[in-house]
Amino acid sequence: MALLEINKLNYQLGNRNQYVKVDAELPGGGVLLVQGPSGAGKSTLLRLLARLQEAGGGEALLQGKSWREYPPNRWRLLVHYLAQKPALFEGTVLENLRLPFSTALLKAGAKFDQDRAESLLEQMLLSKNILAQDARIISGGEAARVALTRALLISPVVLLLDEPMAALDVKTHQAVQELLINWVKGRQDRGIVLVSHVDDPSGWPGALTFDIQPITLEGM
Amino acid sequence: MNEGVIPITNLQLAFSIVLVLLAGGVSAALRLGLLKSLLWGTIRTVAQLTLIGYALVYIFALENLPLVIVIILFMCAIAARTASRHTKDSLGGSGVLAFIALLASTFLVGTIVVVLIIGPEPWYSARIAIPIFGMILGNSMNGIALSLDRLYSEVRARTGEIEALLTFGATPWEAVRDCIRKAMRAGMTPTVNSLMVVGLVSLPGMMTGQILGGVDPVEAVRYQIVVMLMIAAAVALGCLLLVGMSYRRLFNRDGALIREVRGSR
Repeated sequence: MALLEINKLNYQLGNRNQYVKVDAELPGGGVLLVQGPSGAGKSTLLRLLARLQEAGGGEALLQGKSWREYPPNRWRLLVHYLAQKPALFEGTVLENLRLPFSTALLKAGAKFDQDRAESLLEQMLLSKNILAQDARIISGGEAARVALTRALLISPVVLLLDEPMAALDVKTHQAVQELLINWVKGRQDRGIVLVSHVDDPSGWPGALTFDIQPITLEGM
Repeated sequence: MNEGVIPITNLQLAFSIVLVLLAGGVSAALRLGLLKSLLWGTIRTVAQLTLIGYALVYIFALENLPLVIVIILFMCAIAARTASRHTKDSLGGSGVLAFIALLASTFLVGTIVVVLIIGPEPWYSARIAIPIFGMILGNSMNGIALSLDRLYSEVRARTGEIEALLTFGATPWEAVRDCIRKAMRAGMTPTVNSLMVVGLVSLPGMMTGQILGGVDPVEAVRYQIVVMLMIAAAVALGCLLLVGMSYRRLFNRDGALIREVRGSR
């Protein structure tokens, strides 16, 4: 059984007479690279999988269970979407990392682990001094890594990453990629769906690829 | 102390035309292009107020409860329409929610003031109820319009943050709680400020009217205190109801922001 199964998921692209139909599977411990020309709806696919938008039809299944059987907010924690433009809130980096643990849903089952946060930041080449900094003034590359740390801290099952490397230089790109590969490797209860134009499959050992091919509707 | 109203005769009223000429003179001299509007406005002011004056004499004489209720409902409907029309890019149906919010808050606060505090005979006395409800509506109309406007603009400006909160497992309420707080503050701030400066910067219209009408200022002040506090209560309640009913409409059944709010993303 696949970790995440995308079943006849379809959606329209903007105002254009184009639609996309997706059938794909993400095995446990795997990475699924979503490819396609820009404007083909790659980000939309991730947003649909996170239930931030409604699809025209079809469904996704997590560990064999349809998304309809999960409360939407529980689903969004398990199948966690990280936007291309990281949303950092007013306050310090530490406050931003703690923020998810203020929702009723997470507060009930999890606790913020600062040691783990520091270790994740360190693996992504950020010193723990950044914790005290104002989250609104750190650089784009730092923000991307802080947001990724925040996402990993809530321990999702599937991580939906939209261009996570776009703001990173070669060295940090490598560190982040290594961290992500180690995060999923050998874990049947973890997986990554990745949209990236800077990564090709060769950098992700064993990654599956899915090519989005928009279909043009005729007579509209 | 009580000298009663000094009546204004028709001749004296006609003399107030001089005041319009003054405004007209400014408009003509600077070519503001307001002469026509000024003329039309003057005619409407005279006509509307004269008509409402006679209508109120008739309504006060009837002392009919159903009539009073119908008039207040009508006032609520106009206020709701005005409040929701000025809200930019609101979603369809805001008028209905504004009406419900105004109706509930105004009836609750107005009834407390009229029946429990002022206590006229009969309790539904039109001479008391209609002006009181009118004052409440006039103020809460502005308050709820401000808060609704603020709610929409806050949510639109912060879709990235709201969606991030949703991905952390937040419910729609948790995701927009900050926006709701800002919207409530925006709606209530003018009223709270007016509580601070009343009597120092401005003498409110109602109190001024009572004093001109020959009422002892000490008595007029007591009425004004009640009015100020009732407005504060009605605005708070109205904003809370409207914002509380409106925020859910920004989310779909999955608890995600609807397309109209998040834009083209």
